[in-house]
Amino acid sequence: MIVKRILIITPLVIIILLLQSYFWVPKFDEQFMGSGKRLTQYIQGSIGDAQILNPILHADSSSAAITNKIFDGLIDRDRDLTYRGRLASSWKITAEAFFIPYTKVLSPEKIAEKIQNVKNNLNLSWLDNIISVKVIPPEKIKDPRNSSKQNNWSGVHYPKRIKLTLKKVDQNLFNKIKNTFSEKLIQDDYSLNESQSNTKRLKLTEQNPIITFDLRKGVKFHDGHEFDAKDVLFTYKSIMDNKNLSPRKSDFEPIKNIQIVNKNKIIIRYKRLYSPAFGTWTIGILPEHLLNKEYLTKESKTRKIDQKNFNLRISKFNRHPIGTGPFKFKEWRSDELIKLEKNKNYWEGPPNYSEFIYRIIPDALTQEMAFYTGTIDSYGAGVHQVNRLKKDKRFQVFSGLSFGYTYIGYNMRREPFNDPRVRKALGMAINTKQIHEFILNNQAENITGPFIKQGPHYNKSVRPITYDPKQAIKLLNQAGWEKKNGILVKNGKKFSFKLLTNHGNDIRKSIATVVQDSWKKLGIAVTFDTVEWAVFIKKYINQLNFDAVILGWSLGLEPDLFQIWHSSQTNKGQLNFVGYKNKIADDLIVKIRQEYNLKKQITYAHKLHRIIATDQPYTFLYNSKWTALLDRKIAILQKAKNGKSNAKKITATKTGSYSFDFNKWIKFSTSPSFESKF
Amino acid sequence: MITFFIRTCLFKLVTLVIISIVSFLIIHLAPGEPSQIDPLNPRFQKEDLERYRKTFNLDKPLHIQYFLFYKKFFSGKLRSFKDNQPVFPKVWERFMNSLPLFIVGTILTWGLAFPLGVSSSLKQDSLIDKGTTLFSYLLISMPSFFLAYLLIIGTVYFLQTPVLGIQTFGQEDASFLFKINDRIWHLVLPSLLGATAGIAVLSRYVRAQMLEVINQDFTQTAHSKGLSQERVYYIHVLRNAALPFVTMFGLILPSLIGGSVIIESIFAWPGMGRLAFEAILTRDYPIILSLNFISAVLVVLGTFISDILLVAVDPRIRL
Repeated sequence: MIVKRILIITPLVIIILLLQSYFWVPKFDEQFMGSGKRLTQYIQGSIGDAQILNPILHADSSSAAITNKIFDGLIDRDRDLTYRGRLASSWKITAEAFFIPYTKVLSPEKIAEKIQNVKNNLNLSWLDNIISVKVIPPEKIKDPRNSSKQNNWSGVHYPKRIKLTLKKVDQNLFNKIKNTFSEKLIQDDYSLNESQSNTKRLKLTEQNPIITFDLRKGVKFHDGHEFDAKDVLFTYKSIMDNKNLSPRKSDFEPIKNIQIVNKNKIIIRYKRLYSPAFGTWTIGILPEHLLNKEYLTKESKTRKIDQKNFNLRISKFNRHPIGTGPFKFKEWRSDELIKLEKNKNYWEGPPNYSEFIYRIIPDALTQEMAFYTGTIDSYGAGVHQVNRLKKDKRFQVFSGLSFGYTYIGYNMRREPFNDPRVRKALGMAINTKQIHEFILNNQAENITGPFIKQGPHYNKSVRPITYDPKQAIKLLNQAGWEKKNGILVKNGKKFSFKLLTNHGNDIRKSIATVVQDSWKKLGIAVTFDTVEWAVFIKKYINQLNFDAVILGWSLGLEPDLFQIWHSSQTNKGQLNFVGYKNKIADDLIVKIRQEYNLKKQITYAHKLHRIIATDQPYTFLYNSKWTALLDRKIAILQKAKNGKSNAKKITATKTGSYSFDFNKWIKFSTSPSFESKF
Repeated sequence: MITFFIRTCLFKLVTLVIISIVSFLIIHLAPGEPSQIDPLNPRFQKEDLERYRKTFNLDKPLHIQYFLFYKKFFSGKLRSFKDNQPVFPKVWERFMNSLPLFIVGTILTWGLAFPLGVSSSLKQDSLIDKGTTLFSYLLISMPSFFLAYLLIIGTVYFLQTPVLGIQTFGQEDASFLFKINDRIWHLVLPSLLGATAGIAVLSRYVRAQMLEVINQDFTQTAHSKGLSQERVYYIHVLRNAALPFVTMFGLILPSLIGGSVIIESIFAWPGMGRLAFEAILTRDYPIILSLNFISAVLVVLGTFISDILLVAVDPRIRL
């Protein structure tokens, strides 16, 4: 019977055909024997795919991981977080200061002369800082916002001003001038005989920091074109171009103008004192010759896209980037892999790996499986996963502190959170140690303030608040809360509120349970709820409609806390949603972002840290740790001058980056024993 | 016949329009915004967010957004919010990745379900029948992601072979035979998993259909006129029992899109299901709506095909 035979044979054939393929697949031990190519590949597993491979446009961590390998910035951070030159070989930060002189007593020329005289006679270090004093003629400065209206000229008319050229930035310069001279030299009255619209935008004093970068000579883009100052200017202009929708625009907004001196020298003038602006030059530099107007017009024509709507975001460059970095782009298959190959002509010497592959595996457990079979070399391993494989001799383990913290934020506009004693008491009632141990598997540390713990701005002398429920009750009693029938009451009102966090974060949920229990013991009626992220932000955080929330901040290296802590940022939709307002803190926050001297900045930051720790607008819960696993066969390969090379164990930097020396890594066919020569 | 065609086509067109409106509304009424618009990113300022909304046309009234969207959709100018790639080539690329999974999965489903169903119906209440019943219910009740993890962990720990993705890395220079078998190996687990639920359900249907037909009068007649057992079962009974399954063939078309979200995510398979899933996570409206519309078209087309197929195989039905 033919039908019967078909019914039996078909499934048999299919199954045999499928299963025989098993014998053709490389097993774990044979990974490297097939073609040997695997040893020169570094494969990184990632949960998510990159979105756009353009350093000025991306906003996700996957894209950042790739673009960092393809593009170089002018500078970056060294092992100990200080800046080091990349595409810039050196730099200098100077400044220019301007002020409108008070002319009722002395003429501008006389004032300039006076300052010059005092500078020559008095031996003061801040006066030494002034290189020259000049009077500049009246100026008309156009308002860039109204540049489109041609006939209707709008801008600012400046009278004669005095210009001081400075060796270094000095944020207290004008105060020092006021305090040193007995006469009034600086105009401090806006009501000059000018029109209303003019005086509004007139700056009486102004200090413009100037960064001069010397660019590295002979650096080439992956297509062979030489890198120069034009590329830096182009990168800046592309970021500022509204059409490109760059998420970095606000970082570069403080720039007043950029001036190319020659191919290898560029001067950047800033509108105002804003020290975090220096760090923004870690941004990858784009090749001007591949993205300029001419080139984009050509591309829009060949791709038949309306030129008006064409911008950097649509350009094919974002899926085939070209930079100056240690790796060149090779291939991108969406949601599968991104492949880079080594740049043999890299200015710092080529990396050891010949290929870097970013492989997308959207699930943590399957990532572990892939790692276990040797098909990926690293992945974002969870704590429990590291614990599972830690003892396996085939792997090496790294761990360090992450940049950021988790906290409970109180809405300080509402009773009773407007009382610092209450906030402190709430913090004291929570046993953070217990949270670290039982919820986070000890993969967390205490944190006491708003800065990253690895950086110098973190004030280590601030002690965390101790777990002390009895003291907490005392503080609450002082604040007027008395226990009646097991519940705290003040003026007939019960102490009750709602604790909120986003849905889907199990750690935060567990913390909420612990916290709720601790507070209940004090006699506070706490209800807890989780809300889906988008709704949580839109309806609760942005509308300032909450009592207390559990949230986390991931931070950058810059100590600028303006958006999270300054009192001007407390409106709906802004980031200081707890409504923290402290005049001294405000002053320090502004001073920190205006200070260019690291030592002074650290002093301010330490003060600010202590103030915030005392005010307790947040209960700082923990700073989590990250862990990473790596095949033990991977090590640093150093080539000595005599041609011999030796293997060195990979070590993490002070700040916990273990991949700092990535370009020197290579995979050996067996685990190398260190100190031996190869 | 022709009037039937015209009438059905008109009906289906109206259905599609209604689907497009409803799905558009649901997506836009759901909370959240495209992931590019992240109000909690300290780097973004209010104007930046507004700029994004404007470029994505999200600042316009819904009905205008609807027309703008479908205008772009039909002119092929639609681009993903996420990476600004045109939607259709992207969908096509993913479709080609999902296709082998779909084909092997379908072959496995139909190739295994029929023999299983037929054999258990012929030996009703025997050990084989009870065994396959138990097995089917086990497969139906076990969540596929759980089964997937069991299979993956088992293969990795016992066979020490990679199972994720479309192929093994670092073997680009290997010979053709090697490569093709490597690909087949990577197809085994995901397609098997994709087929499990299908095998279990379909074999149950086959069994039930067979039993129903076996008990009908014409089977008795065939037996009594002295035909061999095999001839009765495999020609007369199976042919009649298979009729409803012909119509099911048309209905598997839409599962080309929706059928494999979980399996594709677990196996890191860059297919259609993954595309849809990631698009939903990042609120990538153009991708979500396009896939939604395409699958609606496939459903409508599928029912149409199964209508036609039924007419073709069953001479008793006339239009």
